[in-house]
Amino acid sequence: MTGAALYAALAAASHCAAGCSQKEAVWHSGKLTLYRYRPIARPAAGGVPLLIVYALVNRPYMMDLQEDRSLIRGLLASGLDVYLIDWGYPDGADRFTTLADYIDDYLVGCVDYVLKTHRLNALNMLGVCQGGVLSLCFTALHPKCVRNLITMVTPVDFQSPADLLSKWASKIDVAAWVGDGNVSGDVLNQLFLSLMPFRLMHQKYVDLLAGSPDRERIENFMRVEQWIFDSPDQAGAAFREFVIWFYQENRLVKNRLEIGGRKVDIHALQLPMLNLIGKKDHLVPPAASAALQRLVGSDDYTMLEFDLGHIGMYVSARAQREVPAAIARWLAPR
Amino acid sequence: MQPFAVRMESRIVDHDLWRQWQAFAALLSSANPTPQARSGRDGGVGFAPFIDAAERFTAAARAILDGAGNASARTADEAARTFSDFLREQFADFQMPWSAGLGAAGIQPGPMENSPAIGSSREHQQRWQRTAEAWRRTDDARRRLQRLWSDTLSEAAIAFAARLGPAGAAAVSAEAVRKLYDSWIECAEEAYARAAHGDAFCEALSEFVNASSQWRREVQASIEHSAKLLDLPTRSEINTLTRRLRSVEEQLRAASKTPKPRAPASGAKRASGAKRARRRVKP
Repeated sequence: MTGAALYAALAAASHCAAGCSQKEAVWHSGKLTLYRYRPIARPAAGGVPLLIVYALVNRPYMMDLQEDRSLIRGLLASGLDVYLIDWGYPDGADRFTTLADYIDDYLVGCVDYVLKTHRLNALNMLGVCQGGVLSLCFTALHPKCVRNLITMVTPVDFQSPADLLSKWASKIDVAAWVGDGNVSGDVLNQLFLSLMPFRLMHQKYVDLLAGSPDRERIENFMRVEQWIFDSPDQAGAAFREFVIWFYQENRLVKNRLEIGGRKVDIHALQLPMLNLIGKKDHLVPPAASAALQRLVGSDDYTMLEFDLGHIGMYVSARAQREVPAAIARWLAPR
Repeated sequence: MQPFAVRMESRIVDHDLWRQWQAFAALLSSANPTPQARSGRDGGVGFAPFIDAAERFTAAARAILDGAGNASARTADEAARTFSDFLREQFADFQMPWSAGLGAAGIQPGPMENSPAIGSSREHQQRWQRTAEAWRRTDDARRRLQRLWSDTLSEAAIAFAARLGPAGAAAVSAEAVRKLYDSWIECAEEAYARAAHGDAFCEALSEFVNASSQWRREVQASIEHSAKLLDLPTRSEINTLTRRLRSVEEQLRAASKTPKPRAPASGAKRASGAKRARRRVKP
């Protein structure tokens, strides 16, 4: 590709918007918005809605980036009724928001809305990355509200040998680092890039230059680029709790986690569970996710491994073919 | 990864990456006519840093690929070493989180750092001393991290030179240049992973973050002291008000709970009621 062609293609794509599926905001609380996606296929049997609980550290539109890179579109095509939580962008007024607020207030509010709307006692939940941790906590605290739980690239054992973030966090005084403020999304971006600096800060752009000036490829690159650096600041209190309780103290594995004064016992989980793992995940090592199997009490536990990285699990062509279909297949008889 | 093929089939670069990167860099520079963009070295300006490095890489790769076919094994080894040294130097100032340090905002430790704090300004003297000490610790940790980074690049350069082999040359094609580049990245990531998982790196990084946190806390205290003198609101006061508001909200939520027995989805229902109460008190 010539420099001029690439420049023109990037300039043209620099304002292309992420998101392709039609959705409607159905419930709000503070900065949180709950979306319901419009169906594009005949409803699947059973009709139990699927609530996607995304991570706090990135924006949820990665799940619906563009038509040929949308996990949500794949789920909709399978006839699933999909809801998605957008946590919003915390600001200084949210600095004392805790994990208990997120799980026992905001998430409970979303679940309550969906259950009332559908006149159900339980829904299906898909927790993504850190959202998977929130989903596990919620399910342990409110087991009757969740019929089937799916976790995707979700860390459970935060001290697995390949977990670089865990090693870095082990000796950091997190309370002092966070103080009474929020944690900057820019700082977290730098941290994540530092996990593989040569690939993520250099080779990626050389790949861009070396490829074809195909408009779709450039637009896809720019949408992912936008997503990567569109990182909300983190509510200080919740961030502090998350790093100390999960990374430093590994409370989920040690069965010593309490949220809002109540014990989170994932060993007691008996519901059907599907655990989706990226074998090349540099952010959440496979062993960190696979640990779920030995910790939960469910007899109906399925683990599926994909030969993909963390981001590839959402947006790679292979993920589009395999991940939504696997979820729909697993949910169908349950 | 296998060492590169030794055969020399063509000396013609069929697709001149260097030229197109150069053209691209020129376009970006004209679109971003800032000193940083022109320098091509600042991490905050789009593509400039990697284009600069990619250009230099391509030129050096062409030199080694061109020369290897005509040179003795010894000369080729030297060329490989020169090339890997060049790569090490290229990435030496790569922008990592600790690279910026405290910059101009840092307080240079002065003679008062260890002097006894006495008199009416004793508390302020001590705070300045703590600030200076935190800055010194931060800077020490940053230097340790830079040394580890430099060691990583040296290790990567050695591994890369070994991969090139005794007469490591391939046809001078865009593909060969690209393979060299990918091999370098692989060596660099492997060396970095070994360092980043090590105790020395983790300890230096922790010290950098912890000392920076202390420095920020001390500076914040100094600024708040000045703000109070001018009767300006401080962050601590706003935090106190925010905590009081949260406390009021929690009391409202607790008061809104009815003593009904729990239904199966009672957790959700009760919280929903609480949510309504919360919304009422929010502006």
